[in-house]
Amino acid sequence: METNLRASERLVRKSRKLSLKNPERNGKIVVYTAAFLTVVATLAVTVFLAQRGLQSFYMSDINPLEFFTSTNWNPSGDNPTYGALIFIFGSLAVTLASAVIVAPLGIGAAIFMTEIAPSWGKKVLQPVIEILVGIPSVIYGYIGLTVLVPFIREQVGGSGYSLMAGIVVVSVMILPTVTTLSADALNRLPNGLRSSSYALGATRWQTIRRVLLPAAIPGLLTAVILGMARAIGEALAIQMVIGNTELLPGSLLDPTATMTTIITLNMGHTTFGSAENNVLWTLGLILLAISYLLVMAVRFLGARRKI
Amino acid sequence: MVTVALPETIETAFDVQGLNIFYGAKQAINDIDLSIKKHEITALIGPSGCGKSTFLRSINRMNDDVPGFRAEGLIQYDDINLLTDNIDTVALRKEIGMVFQNPNPFPKSIAKNITQPLKEHGIRSKRKLTEQVETNLRRVGLWDEVRDRLDTSAYSLSGGQQQRLCIARALCIHPEVLLLDEPASALDPIATAKIEDLLLHLKDHYTIILVTHNLQQAARVADSTAFFYQGEVVEHTDTEQFFSNPKEKRSEDYISGRFG
Repeated sequence: METNLRASERLVRKSRKLSLKNPERNGKIVVYTAAFLTVVATLAVTVFLAQRGLQSFYMSDINPLEFFTSTNWNPSGDNPTYGALIFIFGSLAVTLASAVIVAPLGIGAAIFMTEIAPSWGKKVLQPVIEILVGIPSVIYGYIGLTVLVPFIREQVGGSGYSLMAGIVVVSVMILPTVTTLSADALNRLPNGLRSSSYALGATRWQTIRRVLLPAAIPGLLTAVILGMARAIGEALAIQMVIGNTELLPGSLLDPTATMTTIITLNMGHTTFGSAENNVLWTLGLILLAISYLLVMAVRFLGARRKI
Repeated sequence: MVTVALPETIETAFDVQGLNIFYGAKQAINDIDLSIKKHEITALIGPSGCGKSTFLRSINRMNDDVPGFRAEGLIQYDDINLLTDNIDTVALRKEIGMVFQNPNPFPKSIAKNITQPLKEHGIRSKRKLTEQVETNLRRVGLWDEVRDRLDTSAYSLSGGQQQRLCIARALCIHPEVLLLDEPASALDPIATAKIEDLLLHLKDHYTIILVTHNLQQAARVADSTAFFYQGEVVEHTDTEQFFSNPKEKRSEDYISGRFG
């Protein structure tokens, strides 16, 4: 650097120009705005939903205890009742059951893709599964309606529209999500882990079971939880196959309803501000609360990853 | 130590006095004095955790973002203390380049590794950029090895070639000083010899500070050697004297491998 300036003149920070041509400043404006809008949008939705959702309790005089524990749902009758237990149960049942079905399948498929057949898995299986993630839920619902519902009716029993149909459709829907996220979690493991286990004379199965899976557990749980988040929010596909009756299901073959299906079915014919409309917002608020909990669980697991 | 902090002493690049560095409550550098000469290679040696890298990274203020980092004292450079708050770290790092232990080329073509920093610093002319690619790759002896594949990924190079590319990248923005943090510790002996050869050529134009675990390397290339131990400078003297006739018992123990 050929210059006659002293270091104090070269190296002391000059006051940054406030001109619009200063790229440092422009970059700052862009990212600050983006961050601000993201936070505001999230907060706005939460606040709006909370305000609407809580209105059922303090304006429409619905007893919260009744709302959460009663199975009597008849908001449009002469003597309206607002027991949402059926739908809360329906949502949780579909979500938890599909998670229980999908977790071993998805993680197993991910192990196959990453550990057993890595080259084939990466070239063929992973792209195929990623395409499955992108299939719109209405397609899953439509296939469920055309294939699954008649199958259950004829081979298992009942009308076919059932909790079971809902669980199966949602499971098929979230399986690719859980599989790809699990495969990512396994791929993220440092390669030294595999080498060091094999170098100790471990078999492939021992390596997978004793070294890789324990190391990947937080990532795998995150995959399952994000699958659950997708399951609890799903409305359309479930609505097409679950029957949408306001009944607590006695068995897997009985039709029932979930919070999401009740919202989509009823939002069209209720008037904004009525008690009947407010309870739908309350259901939405519960869904939001559950997905907040799931996201918090993911964050918690993510933080645990650092041993 | 004698404290001659006159900016007029042209031979001195850095005059370090009473430098203390803390990470939170832990003190990494304990009241060191050190004078680093211009256009010389100064080797910093010492066991892991002795503070030599911490010291190196304080010169170009790379430690600023480490949580709990705090430095007190003086690193006089020309007429300014580099530890003052109002240092423009962007300008500082243009003037004091750094090469890291593991080669870290950008995931771009060989040529773009040189042209990108130049473009960011305002050079637009295509002809000039092409010219600079050749000049800087020649400087590190890489030109003949890569001239016919400048557009291939820098990752296709061997480790030693990658490291020389990183040195070329550091040189292309015309620094005054080069800080090297164990630049050859991940390389084989032949690649190491090339890097050392390169450093000996570069010292005519640059002040070089070299952190190394390889004592032979320090003996081969450095004009002076500073031995760091537990956050202190035990001895800083002419390299030849340091290795043949160290004044301190601890230096002698360290270079003869009788430590700890």
